[in-house]
Order: sequence, then C-alpha cells, then structure tokens
Amino acid sequence: MRIGALVLKRKSWEPLAFASPSLALIAIVIVFPLAYSFWLSFRNFDLAVGPDSEFVGGANYVEALVRDSRFLNSIWNTAIIIGPSLVLELLLGLGLALLLTRIGRGRPIITALLAIPAMVSPVMAAMTWRMMFGVKYGAINNLGRQLGVIDVYFDWFSNPFISIVAIVMVEVWHNTAFMTLVLLAGLQSIPTELYDAGKADGADGWRSFWYITLPLLKFTMVVGLMIRLIDLTKLFGLIFVLTYGGPGGATETVAFSTYLAGFNDFRMSYAAALSYVIVGGVLVLTLGFMWIQRYREMRAA
Amino acid sequence: MAIALDRPRTVSRSARALRVRRWVGTALTWVAVVAALLFFLGPFFWILTTSLKGNEDYFAYPPVWVPADASLKHYGALFTRSSGARYFTNSLVVSTLSMLAALLVSLPTAYSIARWRFGGGFLSLFLLVLRMLPAIALIIPLYIMYKLLGLTNSYLGLVIVYTVLYVPFAVWLLVGFLRDFPVEIEEAALIDGCSRLRALVSVVVPIIAPGLAVVALFSFIATWNEFLFAIVLTGIETKTMMVLVTSFTSGGTDMFYGEASASVVLGVLPAFIVAFVLQRYLVKGLALGGTKG
Amino acid sequence: MRKLSILAVVLAVGALAAWLGLPVNEVKAARPYEGTTIRAVVNAEYVKYSLSLVEQAVYDKLGIKIETEVIPLDPYVAKTLLEFNSGKSPWDLIMFGPSFMPDYGRHLEPLEPWIQKLKLDFVMDDIPDVYKKLMLRHEGKIVSMPYDGDVHIMFWNKVAFERPDNKKKFKAKYGYELAPPQTWKQWDDQAEFFHGWGWDGTDRKLFGAGASYKGNNYSYYWWRPRFFSYGGQYFDAQMKPLINGPAGLRALEEMVKTIQYYPPGVMLFESEEPKTMLIKGEVPFLFSWTSTGKRVGNPNESVIVGKAGFGIVPGAEIDGKIVYRPDLTPGRSMAVSKYSQKKEATMKVLELISDPEQSLKIVMDPKTIMDPWRVSHFKSEKFRKSFPGADEYLDAILKTFPHVVPDPILPGASEYMRKLSFEITEALAKRKSPQEALDSAAAEWDKITDRRGRDKQTALWGEKMSEMKQVGIEYHPDWAKKAK
Repeated sequence: MRIGALVLKRKSWEPLAFASPSLALIAIVIVFPLAYSFWLSFRNFDLAVGPDSEFVGGANYVEALVRDSRFLNSIWNTAIIIGPSLVLELLLGLGLALLLTRIGRGRPIITALLAIPAMVSPVMAAMTWRMMFGVKYGAINNLGRQLGVIDVYFDWFSNPFISIVAIVMVEVWHNTAFMTLVLLAGLQSIPTELYDAGKADGADGWRSFWYITLPLLKFTMVVGLMIRLIDLTKLFGLIFVLTYGGPGGATETVAFSTYLAGFNDFRMSYAAALSYVIVGGVLVLTLGFMWIQRYREMRAA
Repeated sequence: MAIALDRPRTVSRSARALRVRRWVGTALTWVAVVAALLFFLGPFFWILTTSLKGNEDYFAYPPVWVPADASLKHYGALFTRSSGARYFTNSLVVSTLSMLAALLVSLPTAYSIARWRFGGGFLSLFLLVLRMLPAIALIIPLYIMYKLLGLTNSYLGLVIVYTVLYVPFAVWLLVGFLRDFPVEIEEAALIDGCSRLRALVSVVVPIIAPGLAVVALFSFIATWNEFLFAIVLTGIETKTMMVLVTSFTSGGTDMFYGEASASVVLGVLPAFIVAFVLQRYLVKGLALGGTKG
Repeated sequence: MRKLSILAVVLAVGALAAWLGLPVNEVKAARPYEGTTIRAVVNAEYVKYSLSLVEQAVYDKLGIKIETEVIPLDPYVAKTLLEFNSGKSPWDLIMFGPSFMPDYGRHLEPLEPWIQKLKLDFVMDDIPDVYKKLMLRHEGKIVSMPYDGDVHIMFWNKVAFERPDNKKKFKAKYGYELAPPQTWKQWDDQAEFFHGWGWDGTDRKLFGAGASYKGNNYSYYWWRPRFFSYGGQYFDAQMKPLINGPAGLRALEEMVKTIQYYPPGVMLFESEEPKTMLIKGEVPFLFSWTSTGKRVGNPNESVIVGKAGFGIVPGAEIDGKIVYRPDLTPGRSMAVSKYSQKKEATMKVLELISDPEQSLKIVMDPKTIMDPWRVSHFKSEKFRKSFPGADEYLDAILKTFPHVVPDPILPGASEYMRKLSFEITEALAKRKSPQEALDSAAAEWDKITDRRGRDKQTALWGEKMSEMKQVGIEYHPDWAKKAK
C-alpha cells in the first residue's frame, strides 16, 4: 500500500477529524450506556417500586448465580441449544458446501437461494415455523396426517424436550447457510493441484477428502464455529416468537430471561447484573475456545 | 462439474463403468440439491400460499397445498385493520435513514483507517468485542436513558441506535474497498489543490460507489431485521414490521392466520431481494453479522 | 327591475344558505367535541374490536374518534405500568385489570369531581355488588368503570351427558350416575371417561375435557378453584405464602395426573382455544370465562347451539356439603389517565361506552368476548332470548356471584400471579414435581413481598384477608385431607 506520499501530506488533525463522528456516536451510545449499566448493576433500581435506588454491592450478582434457579436454568437451556446447533450447522454446512462444489452451472443462483433463510430475521423464521408447527392447521401436522404418520393432532410445544428440538431445527434451518458459504469459500481456496497430486498418489474420493480437504479447511471451520458460537449466546428473537420460553421455562435462554427480568418485572438493576454475567460468560467461552485452538496447534507442531 | 481432469478417451469397460458412476453421482447431486432447496425454501412457499388463501382453505383437511381461490384479501386486512401500511412504512423509513446515516458516519472513519492507519489494529479488536456484546446488555441502560430524553417511540431514537450498531461493520467493509482503491487518483486530485474532504467526496466516492451500495444494502437489511431494540423502544406510531409480527402470536396464529402470514411475506421481502443483488458479498456480510436481528 | 331581481336572487340564496346552515348548526351542537381524537390502549385485538362496535355512537353523539393501540397480553401490565411509573402516558383511555388496581390506581383520574362538573351519569346502581366492590375504587375514590365482567362458569355439551349409551358405560365403570360434575373428583373421573373416543356417537377421537394451561397467566386460574375449595388461601396473617401447603399440592397433583385427558396443545392454550373445541363438539365440558356462552350460542361457529348446559364451577365436598370457589379473574375496567391532556373528552367517552345500552351491545356480541357486568344485562330480554339457553346461562352467572374468589389484589399482583402460573406450568410440563414447583413459587412470592416492602404488603394483605373472610373464604388446613 503506497501511502508514503499521502502520509507526508496530511494535516495532523485530519485523521481524528474524519473519524470523530463515529467515535462520538460510539462513545455516547455504546460506551456510556454500558458504563451506566455496570454502575446500575451494583444498586437495586427497580422501576416497579420507585425511582430511587441504593447501593447494594454485589447482591445482584450473588442472587443471579446462587439464588436464581430460573436464570441458572436458562444458562443450561442456552447450552443445550448451542451444542447440537453448532454440530448440525457444521455438518450440514459442510455437506452443502461440498455439494455446491460439484455443481458448475447455476452455482451462483443456487447458492443465493440457499442463503436466503440466513438473510431473514430470526423473528420471521420463527413465525414461519411456528405456523408450520401449528397443532391443527400447520403444514407439518397436516403433512404428517396425510402421510399417515400422525394420528390426531400432535402438539410440538407441550413437551420440553421436543420444544428444544424444534428450536434447534429452526435455528439450524435459519443459519446453516452461513457455515455453507464460509466453508464454500474455504473449499474454493484449496488449489486443485493438491487434488491432482493426491490422485497421482492414489488418494481418491473419501481419502482425498479426509487427508487433503479437511486439514486445510480446519482454520475456516474454527473461525466459522466461533462466530456462530458467539451469535448463539444471544439467542432471543427466535425464542420470543417460537415458544416465548415455554413450556414453563423449558426454552428460556439467557438473553430471554434477562429481558423478562428487565421488562416484565422492571428490575432494571438486576437485569443489568444478569447482562454482565452473560457478557462475562461469553468472554470466558471465547477466550477458552481460542486457548484450546492455540493449544491444539501447538501440540500439532 | 467441478474437478474435471483430462482423461484419455478409451472405451474400455472400466471407462463405461466410470461414466455410469459419474452419471449416478450427478443424479444424486441434483437430488440432494433439490432436497436442500425444498427444505430451505419450502417454508417460504407455504407461508406465501397461506397468505393467498382466499376462502377457508387454511382450515381444510385434507390440506390444500395450492390455493384454489387465491386472493389478496389478507394483505388488504393487514394494511387496514392491523395498520400494516403504517408499520411497513416505519420499517422502510427507519432502515433507510439508518443506512444513510451509517454510510455518512463510517465513510470518513474508514478513510481515516485506510489511509492513515488511524487507531492501529484497533478496529479488528473493536469489531470482535462489539460482536460479543449481547444486545440485551445495551438495551437496558439505553431504555432508561431514552425514557428520560423522550426518545422512545420516535424515529430518531431508533435510527441513532441502529446507526451506531452498524457503523463498525460498515467501516470494516469500507476499509477493504478503500484499500483496493488506487491511491494515485487521489494524489492527483490533491496535487490539483483539493482538500482531503473534497477529494474524498468528488473522486473516491463515485468510484467505490458499488462498494457503498453493498454496505448500504447490508445496513438496510440488518436494521430491517432487528428485533430487540425495536420491541423495547417503539410505540404505536413507530412499530416496525418485526414487532407487528409478534402481535399475532398470542392465540392468533389460527384466528388471524391470513394477516400473520401476509406480514411474514412482507417481512422477508427485503431478504429475497438483497440475497440476489449481493451474492458475491454474502460471506463477508453474514460473517460480520450484517443481517442479524 | 334588474336591481329587484338581483335582490330577489340574493335573498333566495341567503334564505337557502340559512336553511342549509341550520342543520349544520344543530349537528354541531350535538357533537360538542368534534374533531377530537383520544387514544385508548387495550390488551387484545378483540377488545379493539369491541370498541369499534360503539365508535359510531361515540362519533355521532360526541364527535370524538378513538384511536386504539393493542399491546399483547403477556407484556401488557409491564409496558403500561412502565409508562405510568415514569409520569407520562401516551394514552387517554386506559383498559386495565382491576386486580391490578393497587399498581394502576394512583395513575387514574378520579371520576367523582368530573361527575359533578359535567353532570355525568354512570348509572351506578345498575352494577352488581361484587363488581362494585372490586372494579371501581382505589383508596376509596372511584377511578374506573367496569368493561368486562370476568367470572368462570362451567359449560357442558348435553349430548355427552344425555346419550343413554354413555350413561350406561359410565355407571358401569364408576358406580354413580353420569351428570355434569359437581366436585373435582367427578370432573377428573369424567375427563378420564370421555377421553379418546367418540362420545358424541361418531367414531372421531375426542378429548376428555378443556382447559388453558399456558404459563404466563392462565394455568393459575385452573388451579385456583381447586386450591381454594380444598381450604387454601394466598397468605396467612404474617404474609407467609400458603400456596405450597397440602391444598395447593393436592390441586396441582390432580392437574398433573389428569393432563393426559386434555387435548394436545393445552399447554399453550390461552382463552379461546378450549372454547373453540367446546363449541365444535370436541370436548364435553370446560370451565372458563362467561364469554364462552356467547360463542356457544353463535350458530355461525357453534355446533352445540341449544345443546349446551351452564352451571357453577365444581367444588369440593367437605363434611357433606359442596364448597364452590369459582374464579373471579381480573376482568377489564376502563379509566381515564391522570396524565391525559383530554380528560374532559375522555370522561364523556367513558360515560357513553359504559351506559346500559352501549355496554349491552358490547357484551352481547360473541366476537368481543366481553362479559356482562350490569344488572340490566342479566335482566335484558334481548340478551336472555339471544340464543337457546341464554337465560340459563345468565342465571348461572348470577348464581356464581356469591361464591367467587378474587385475585390477590396487592401491589405487585401481576408479578405474584405470573410467577405462580409459571411454576404451575413447569409442573404440568413435568419439569418439576408439584411440590418443587409450589415451593419455588412460594420462595418467589417471598422475594416479591420483600421487594415491595414487607410491612406495607402485610398491612394491605390484612385488609384483603378480612374482606375475603367476610364472604366466607378463609384458610382451612384440614380440608385438603377431608375433601372428597
């Protein structure tokens, strides 16, 4: 990048000036509120009770981690949604990416078509599937009855386990396209000479996949998984529309139960504390993920 | 087919067997493609046909998969009884304004980073941190602040939040476009006496306009799809399409099935359009969270 | 000559204008608030629809237009109170559940000064005592008018109970005559009996009974009548929750055991789904809001018109007598916001939509699901003849009034009820045992009491408890075991 001449010619205030609008906005709309929220989390501001609040130290955090079984339960729920979703998105995404490499003509169109579910809002995806899961008139039950698989009405959302399954299914439907595209890009960046060389050595089909494709794809997969992992911790809109946390608290995620604490119970300070617990958790997860990767790389070296 | 290698054209038995295998392979590939398309696009098809069911086909069993009596009456009901027209406009206005504001703010910033390495490698780190932040952590203090300032139930309030949320990603994308931009053209303009800003506006912008369009479209879709901030910060006048959909969830999916499905069709419309227009940039856009709610 | 003709024309035009102008002035006088729009907030599409039934009258008589916002039920209390607690309100006409009066009351404009000032007439003596006591006052002042009188009564499909074949089978299996259930035991027996076959004579697979078990607000209303008829009460005098005692446990265990006899989807049912199943002949009986009756009698959707029975919700047999404890659910009241800029216009609207004629229109229409609340509604010949059995239906409601149990009308009522309903649904979904669920709920109730100020709550509860005692509702620790 030949910036030499330009660097010499710049006025010293220009870089900051150019960047200042966004810096100001970020400071006011992101940094300040987050600091305020952090401060709030050590008080007991409760809009239901009144506008005054007092300092309570870490009481909110203690309650969140020790006395709030509903929040702890939501952590568990989030985990059991994230796990299968990641695995399925990876496998399905890989399968689709491989499939797409086998298509010459029409690849751009088909790729774009398959990417559409990932471009719609999770709320729209959830509403679509909620109607399809409808007990009496939904597409799935109707199809099941037509094919003779289901007898009377089947309710997908009375059973906690099946509700989680439904959520994972909708989530995978919604976001597999992301992994597909990431992996497709990764596959396309593998030079074909490697495959030719492999074929000359007798490696073909499955073996070329296992020994050539996968290792080279590893980094892409890790990056994709990490991004998906971070996104999945924020799961909210999909839950709100598909199950609203039900049945009972079976599908409440951490973001959802924090929302309920803040906007159903008005416990703003407590909700702020919960949100920082989530932030802490995500930080730990991400760092842990990266550390494990580093460790495996070092061992492989 | 992807990995085509040169093969000698011998018409031996093994070659014929190979061709049969290839043909079967191709057939299976296309079967898989069709299955994938059915799975991923089928639901949209069902919602679309449901929204067009003119009579009471929704309640019919055996189920009617293709409506005999297609009609737009549900869209009409959505627009009038459920104020769908107003909320569709709201989504349109908010997303457009946010998109423009984001561009306006992020272009100079991207310029600063691309040309002068402003902030060092800070941008990538900041992006990652922002990606990790759950919206719920931000909405709580923001709600309290907005209530005090009277910014709830207003276009301005929502646009401010959306602009700030998508500026970092817009900046990232634009930095990429700007880095690819040949510096010589700018230098020529500067030598001619242009100020930095004028050079940016009159020389750079027209050339990277396609890049700007990409960023704009992603911002548009991201704000269109956004849910949490919308549901907390909007009121009767400013509700967006995403919030409208939730009013059909309580007991309503059977009673108001027509309006519910019509609102979904309208809500996913931008996604369909953008997916085709932005094919090449899909990976980047999705990776940077360009379309998340 | 020309001047004369011009004069004649001018006079003629002037006379014509004057004559045309007259009716305009008359109409103007009758529409004193012409051009005013007030904003209302309600918690469901059907309430908005109910307002649309009277908006023509409101416009014709007052010139006022009503713009209605619908906030869904789940976040309704939270969202509206959030606005009020910050001292503002974008709405003039407020719909709310009177059970939440302790939280809403201080944001509502008292009616009496306006009744005096504008000479309003709310026809107060046309309101039955039970609603007068519960739906009008906050700290002694009248702040709202009823809009929807919610009680629960029982509805049943006569076909199920009168078929000789059904009667024979039932007697053989359970040893007593088949009749609409009077006790919970009978209810549960019959739910088991009717489930899974065509008790209407067809070979369809039908269901045992109807209910709404959704967690946020509903399941608690199907648990409560059992709980109270087994001698339960919300708190004791020291504000200790009694919901996780033997009465609550027995009630919840029975529900968990019998959920298999209810239709799939019951866990997500809100108010309308079980009613739809009843009127389509898919469940044989249901207890629910009185608005069910109107849907039962609506020939456009109901297949049991003329074949339905109405009665009081079952109870428990204690020492040979049956104790009934039917639900009085929040219902709906309408009030004027204290922060409104258009109080006068809104008061006039409130007067009009509450008057006997307009309110009758609202409560008679099956699509509004608003329930009768004026004495004149129950006596109205029009209503009593509006569908076969309508008179039995209205009488059943009147019979229910003396026994009804209200919600815990305290600050934070919505939170107490929501947390309890959540735990009940957790038990129904088999995620917790009934005892665990009720213990969690009791723990949550303690937390709420502490947050709201324990001393204040205990004092307020003391008042409510003695009010309930006056109508015979109090804690009986021994009933849970005794009840048959």
